[in-house]
This record gives sequence, C-alpha cells and structure tokens, in this order.
Amino acid sequence: MTFEIDPWTRRRFFQLAGLTGAGITLGACASEPESPGEKATGQAPSPVFKEPSTKLSGELSILLWSHFVPSHDTWFASFVKDWGKKVGVTVRVDHVDVANVPTQIASEIQAGQGHDIVQYIATLSEFEESVLDMADVNDETSNRHGEQLAICRESSYNPHTDKFYSFAPGWVPDPGNYRKSLWEPVGFADGPSTWDDLLQGASEIKKSKGTPVGLGMSQEIDSNMFGHALLWSYGASVQDEDENVVLDSPETMAAVEFVQKLFKNAMTDEVFSWTASSNNEGLIAGELSFIINSISAWRSSQETNPQIANDTFFVPALEGPQTALAAQHVMYNYAIPKHAKNPDAAKEFLLHFTDNFELVTYHSRLYDFPSWPSLAPKLGDWLADDPFGAKPADKLAFLGDVETAAEWSASIGHPGPSNPAIGEMLGTYVLPNMFARAARGMSPEQSVKRAHEECERIFGRWRKRGLIGGG
Amino acid sequence: MAELVRDAPRRQELDGTRRRLADRDGFLAWIFLVPTVVYIIVLVAIPFFLAIAFAFSDVTAGNPSYDWVGLENFSRVFDDPVFWQALRNTFVFTAISMVLIVVFGKVLAMVLVADFRGKWLVRFLVLLPWTTPVALSSITWLWLLHSIYSPIDWVLRNVGLIEDNSYFLGKPALAMGSVIAVHVWRLVPLAAVIMMVGILSIPDDLIEASRIDGAGFWRRLFEITIPLTFPLIAVAALFGAIFTFTDMAVVYVLTGGGPTNSTHVLASWSFVRGIGGGDIGQGAVIALFLFPLLLAAAILILRSVRKMETI
Repeated sequence: MTFEIDPWTRRRFFQLAGLTGAGITLGACASEPESPGEKATGQAPSPVFKEPSTKLSGELSILLWSHFVPSHDTWFASFVKDWGKKVGVTVRVDHVDVANVPTQIASEIQAGQGHDIVQYIATLSEFEESVLDMADVNDETSNRHGEQLAICRESSYNPHTDKFYSFAPGWVPDPGNYRKSLWEPVGFADGPSTWDDLLQGASEIKKSKGTPVGLGMSQEIDSNMFGHALLWSYGASVQDEDENVVLDSPETMAAVEFVQKLFKNAMTDEVFSWTASSNNEGLIAGELSFIINSISAWRSSQETNPQIANDTFFVPALEGPQTALAAQHVMYNYAIPKHAKNPDAAKEFLLHFTDNFELVTYHSRLYDFPSWPSLAPKLGDWLADDPFGAKPADKLAFLGDVETAAEWSASIGHPGPSNPAIGEMLGTYVLPNMFARAARGMSPEQSVKRAHEECERIFGRWRKRGLIGGG
Repeated sequence: MAELVRDAPRRQELDGTRRRLADRDGFLAWIFLVPTVVYIIVLVAIPFFLAIAFAFSDVTAGNPSYDWVGLENFSRVFDDPVFWQALRNTFVFTAISMVLIVVFGKVLAMVLVADFRGKWLVRFLVLLPWTTPVALSSITWLWLLHSIYSPIDWVLRNVGLIEDNSYFLGKPALAMGSVIAVHVWRLVPLAAVIMMVGILSIPDDLIEASRIDGAGFWRRLFEITIPLTFPLIAVAALFGAIFTFTDMAVVYVLTGGGPTNSTHVLASWSFVRGIGGGDIGQGAVIALFLFPLLLAAAILILRSVRKMETI
C-alpha cells in the first residue's frame, strides 16, 4: 500500500510552520549577545557556611522581589537550595514583581499566614506590629562583621519602640546617570555636580538636542527617591530628628521652585505618568540626558544598547544650597511575620545569607552593596576594574567602596528614622505629587501646604498608635 | 446471591426516592442555586460586611487587630481633597463611558447582524477585547500610549499631525480620555452582543412591513429597533456602568492615579489608601461609597426596564 503525500495538506503546513518557528527560536537564542555576566573577568567569591546554632528542620518559605538584575535570582535559587540541603530544611522561594510586594505582604499579614520571610526594597515599618523583633539577628551579624552602616540601621529600627522591625543586610546607592555625548558639548564633560549645573546643562541640551531630563514626579518609587534627595540637598526634610513634620519650610519652597524651573526648561509631561522602569527605558532608548537611578539601567543597556551603555556615566549625589545627599535607591528589608511557621530557620538563613553578601554583590553585578562594610572586601577593586564589561573598566570607580557611597546617601526619613508614617507617605506618593502639582502650575506655597497637611494627617494617626515620636 | 435478591427492593426504594427528588422543582432549584449563593456569600457578602466593620476600625495593613474608632475614618476621608476628586472622576468616567458604550455597542450590533462574508470571524474578533483579562489588555494599552514607544504617536507623527509625542498619560485631560477610551474599547463588544440578541429577536415581518410602508433606515431605527430593544439597551448600559464604576485595573495600570492624583477613581484611591498607605480603615470607607451609588443605579435602570416591559 502506498500513500500519496500532498506537501500542502493542512497538517503538513502546521508541521512546517512549527519547525520553522522552533528553528527561528533556537537561532535567536544561539545568536543572543553574550551577557556581561558570562564574560565576567573577575573570580566569584567562594561561599562560606557556619553551622546553625540550633538543629533545623521543616520548610522555609521566602517572598522576594524579582531582582532588577536577573542573574541575581538565578544565583539565589541555587544558593538557597545548597543551604537547605546542608541544614535539612526545604526552602521555597517566590518572586513577585516589585510593585506587588507590599500588597502581597499586607494580604499575608491580614490572613495570618504566608511566607516565613518577606522582603521588600523599601521600608517595612508599617508592618512593625505584626513582625518579629530582629534585634538578635542584627546583634549576631554585628558580632560577626563589625558595625552596620547607619543608613541601613535607620531603615530597619524604630527608636521610639526600640524594635528592629526588619533586618537590612544590603542596600543600593542612587547616583546620577548622564549621557556624556550630550553633556560634554554644553560644558559638563564630567556631568553635573550640583542641582544648578543640572538646570543649566539640561536646559541647554533640551534646547539644542530636544533630549529632556528624566526625573519622575509620578506614583512610583524612583519619584519618591528623587524628591527626598532634592529636599535634603536644599536643607529641607519631611520630618526632623524627633519625628515632627517640618515639610512646610522656606527650604522646601526653594526646592519646589527649582523643580518648576527644571520642568519648564528641561522636562516633558512624560514624567507625570512614569512607572518605576520608565526612566530606565528612556535612558536605554537614548531619549533622556540624565536620570537618578542605580546602575541597573546602564547594566541593561550593556546588553540591549551597548552604544548607550558606553556613553552613560555616573555622578554622586548632586550638591544643593545646603548639602549633597541622595536617597538609597533600594534598601533591602527582610522581616519575619509573627505568623511564620519556621522563625528559627528564617533567622539562621538570614545570618547565612548575610555572611555571603559578597556573593550577592558579585552576582547582582555590583548592584547590591552590603550593610556591613567588612562583608565586601573586594568591592573597591571590582568598582575600579569592573568584572562585567564596563567601558571604560573604571566607570564605577566613583562609588569608591561601601563607606564612600554611604557618605552621600541617606535613608528615607532622614534626619529621622524610616518610621511607619514615612512608609505611608511613600506609599501614597506625597512628595512626587507635591512637586508635580507645582510643576503643572500650582503655586509652590499652596502645593507645599497641601503636602504638609497630608503629612500631618499621616503622622498624627501613627503617633496616636504609639509607633512614632514627636507631636 | 441471596443478598442481591434481598437488596433489590431496597435499591428500587432508593431509586424511587432519587426519582422523586429529581422530579421536585423546589429541590432542584435549591441545588442549582447553591453554587451561586455560596459564591455571593463568600466573595460578596462577607467582604462587604467586613468592609463596613473595617470602616469603623483602626485596622492597618500591618496590624489586623480590631479597635473601634467610630466615625474618625469617615472624617479623615472627607477632609481629603483626593477623595472628592476620585468621587467626581468615578462619575465622569462612568457617565461618559456608558454613553459611548451604548452608542458604539448599538452601531456594532447593527453591523454584526448584517449579512456579509466572514461574519463569524468578525464576531469572534470583535469579542476579543471583552474576553481578554482587563489587566492584560490595560498593559497592552500602556505600551500603546507609552511616552516614548507609543505606535499611536508614531503614526500621528508620520502623517504630520503632531511634532512631539502626545504624552497621553502625562497630561490630565489626555490621561482621563485614555482611561475612558480603554473602558469603551473593552466594554463595547459586550454591549454589542447584548444588543445583537435584541435586534435578532425583532420579528422579520415587522421590519418587512415597515419597509413596504416606506420607512427608511433612520425611521426604522428610532421607531422600531430602539423601542423594541430598549430593555436590552438598558441592560447593556447597566453592565457598562457597573463594570466602569467598580473597575480599578485600568486606572491602576495606565496612570496609577496620576498625574497628581487627577485620574483616581474610588476603587483605585481605596486601594492606594488601604494597601499602598496601609490604612485599611480609610480604604474601606472609600470603597463603601461605591455601594449606595451602585445600588441606586441598578435599581433605577432595572425599574425603567420593568416599566418598559409592562407598557
């Protein structure tokens, strides 16, 4: 019996289409540019292991954000697995998009069940009443590795209640990213160093090239960080050291007036609609002259747009009339909810994770910095000679080391602690809205007054609950 | 074998009982209703009463313990200008969307009942916006309206209508327009299908008779089609209103409530206050405002439909 095969039957067509699709996919994978991680020239540090102080067993579940540098999450999965095998604990890691982490944590706290460890990249102070005190983990880490950076301690400790509501083993600086080819012709070959430089240079770039500055005034986390940095540099802040609201001040007014000028001369309406990744997208697309961000946008452009990557350089916090301070870009906060089923394993894991923070720094491609400076002895060398393909190799040398970067960085809430009121203020975007209202035409007095009143309402409520001082 | 014989009458008795139960309308009605009732109790009634309880409490995202605070949350919400803005936006978005959904839905329904080649494919494609999960379609629109990569901007720029990008989501008026456009885009197919059923139920001989009597398209539309399908038009309007009124995904994904809180609606502001800000009490108060307004709208429209049916 013979079959006559018609080459154009429907089945045959789908088979061919499927094979062609698979071929194209494989080809695309094969021709995908090698990531800088694969070309890493440095030697990855070796992991260290210390036996837990108690016998561990059972399961441990961890809720994490999806890291901006994906190679971190790949490494973390195997790191966790190895630790689990050694100590006899089954570990489960769930990654959630950063914007959804607070919602996930809130729902778990309300339900009284969920992960044993929850992590977020900003303060978790609003969950203080439902999480364990992490003083023991903090003390043990300090015994092992020396003194913790003040910026990280302030982001995890409530002095009013004397409680470590979270554990902050790492953080990320928030420098300025600028395009050298745009800033050189306007007289700033090394980028702006003050807010006035920014206004002057960015206005000229916008006028001559049409490329705007990308500082968000939207309902997202980077806009919060920019707002805080500007306020501090002008000598203003949301609260004082004693947690009293002091936003309505001549210094704040001056900062808001500066934003009005910057927006008028060097920005577009896009900054009012941004998400947390918009400034990254704009920089990578070559559509922005300056952004305030970590090094993640530049790292992404190393793979997606190397020309832009090579043209992107960094500056530390811009200097204002009073000082030069940037907010932390990310502050890693790990909390153990009271409902956690395996708190002992959770605490032991956090100690082990922190002991190995040099690995975290390396696998995040120098994105994550440790809270205990002694934990990354090679960081200074890596920054001076980037193992992940920076051109030139010393592009990140301006960060110096952990302590140098911390000198021009402050925790959210500065000069006070990152208390729950500050957490709520971040979550409802009081500062970005204050700047945006003024940029869109409201008088600075009116906008600042409205933001101040919002802060008073928020602080008053948390004060009544006994979780913050002042008043 | 003896056991089988002994069991036979018992089985017959059991079968009889089963048959009697299957024949009882009341019993069957309850069986069929139970899943719906359970669904409504678990996912609507309990959260609703919980929201009422939370509205009078100081429950926060970080502390579920319940303490009575009376009307304090209501007073804080009323003092907040963003709440009033969100309330106003909710009505504006709903009213404009509802009108556009009904008009475009009607037009689309007329097109879909017409005879043409590939009608079934067109019907399938038209339904896609409705069947796509709202969060997913909102993300697609986020890219369509992107400040840098918007293809809409690209087309407008290339045909010479604009010079710079429009920044659809960065300007309050355009952002509000974008939110309304997405609501209309996703709800028109549903309205069209509902109205299509109405149009198809109009007897052919009635249309034929009116044609013979010399009635043109517009006369037939306003004097036959619309009056006869009004109850279904009202149902489509009701669905459009409810889905727009209660939705937070479109606003949350597209604008996050910005610029400067100018596009917040009650649902999104309730979420930002309750979850983002951690103040569940205030979030509950804001969410409760959806209830009386929705109830009033539903009663109003359903009563008018009933009135139409009895005429």
